Amino acid sequence: MKKQILIGLFSLLFLQSVFAAGTRYEMRVDGLACPFCAYGVEKKLKAVEGASDITVDLNKGLVSVNIAEGKELTEEQMKKLFKDAGFTYRSMKKFPL
Amino acid sequence: MGKILLKILGGFTIFLLLIVAITWLFWIPSASGPGYVFVKAWGEKGSAPGQFNDPTGLAVHKGEVFVSDARNGRVQVFDFDGKFKRQISSKGDGRDQLGRPMNMVIAGNELYVADYWNDRIQVFGLDGIYKRSIGKAGKGPGELGSPGGVAVAPNGDVFVADFYGQRVQQLRADGSFVRQWGKTGKIGFMAGEFNYPTDVALALDGTLFMADGYNDRIQVFGADGQFLRKWGGPWAINIFGPFNGWFATVTSIDFDKQGNVFVADFYNNRIQKFMPDGTFLTSIGKRGKGPGQFDKAIAVAVADDGTVFAADFRNNRIQKWRPE
Repeated sequence: MKKQILIGLFSLLFLQSVFAAGTRYEMRVDGLACPFCAYGVEKKLKAVEGASDITVDLNKGLVSVNIAEGKELTEEQMKKLFKDAGFTYRSMKKFPL
Repeated sequence: MGKILLKILGGFTIFLLLIVAITWLFWIPSASGPGYVFVKAWGEKGSAPGQFNDPTGLAVHKGEVFVSDARNGRVQVFDFDGKFKRQISSKGDGRDQLGRPMNMVIAGNELYVADYWNDRIQVFGLDGIYKRSIGKAGKGPGELGSPGGVAVAPNGDVFVADFYGQRVQQLRADGSFVRQWGKTGKIGFMAGEFNYPTDVALALDGTLFMADGYNDRIQVFGADGQFLRKWGGPWAINIFGPFNGWFATVTSIDFDKQGNVFVADFYNNRIQKFMPDGTFLTSIGKRGKGPGQFDKAIAVAVADDGTVFAADFRNNRIQKWRPE
């Protein structure tokens, strides 16, 4: 019985480490004006390796993206990405998944 | 001293009132054409037939309404009463698929779709059969950076609003480059320059009307390519506002049979109607979620009988209006 409980706990720990992988980034951006912009940002972010679940909130000027474990977004990278997309990068917050 | 101050203040007030009056007279026209009556709306958020996830483009042809359903990566076809008929294409970057379909046009019984994410124009038969693709990603001549809209000339030439290219390109039917308006990748607000062009439409006489998205204006060029005129706020130099004839992000353009110009005025939640010379005629809709109200008007198409269809972006529905 003890052995089964231990195996169960071990499995839970393993699963947690699998599903907790990655980071959610939230970025404040100026200049988002319409869906054309939003789609442009999404298009550029989806080309970033490990990116998924991209959301763009035009009203709040907030762009969010999940990045897979082992990958990272840098401020410099995002400044360039948003500049290329026609916007001004303001700030970034990170949340572990 | 007090009298002098009063005189200066009085003079300044009169000057300000004069400026306001002149602005009102010159830059805020009154409606001079008949209005439109709301008929019906259809659609809601979703991915089932008849539902939308960001409707972004419209085209009409012989009793059918074609709707770009952007996040669902498809075009849906309805009759004029909003009854679903068929779906064209599916989401993806495959040869016959659509990334984010935007503005569209129908020419020669073919549907031309600006495929924003896949940097190309997709051409389908009206039955949905894939025909060909025009363009590829890039900044060179004939290459595209997120096309927002497309027009087609009688000889098959294609005009593309190249959103990130900051230009409108004219291409042959095979995609070869003919010429362009605007400097590649360079934003500007002078005549012939662009600030994220979103759509283009070709009048029967070959005149080109371009929706200069974030410059909040329409630019017009002759069939010879020469700049003719522009409108949208004072001097049409990227001054946005809610008044008649002003815009707050222009996202789509179409004509009625008489050649009048209809413009989707995104942030002003309305469609505006102009004469071809830019004279304001009337506007359709206002902000809201109720019947005849828009939560961001993104696209417009006009049927031969004058019926106006408009894509109501955030309400995920299509609205139908008839002339009064």
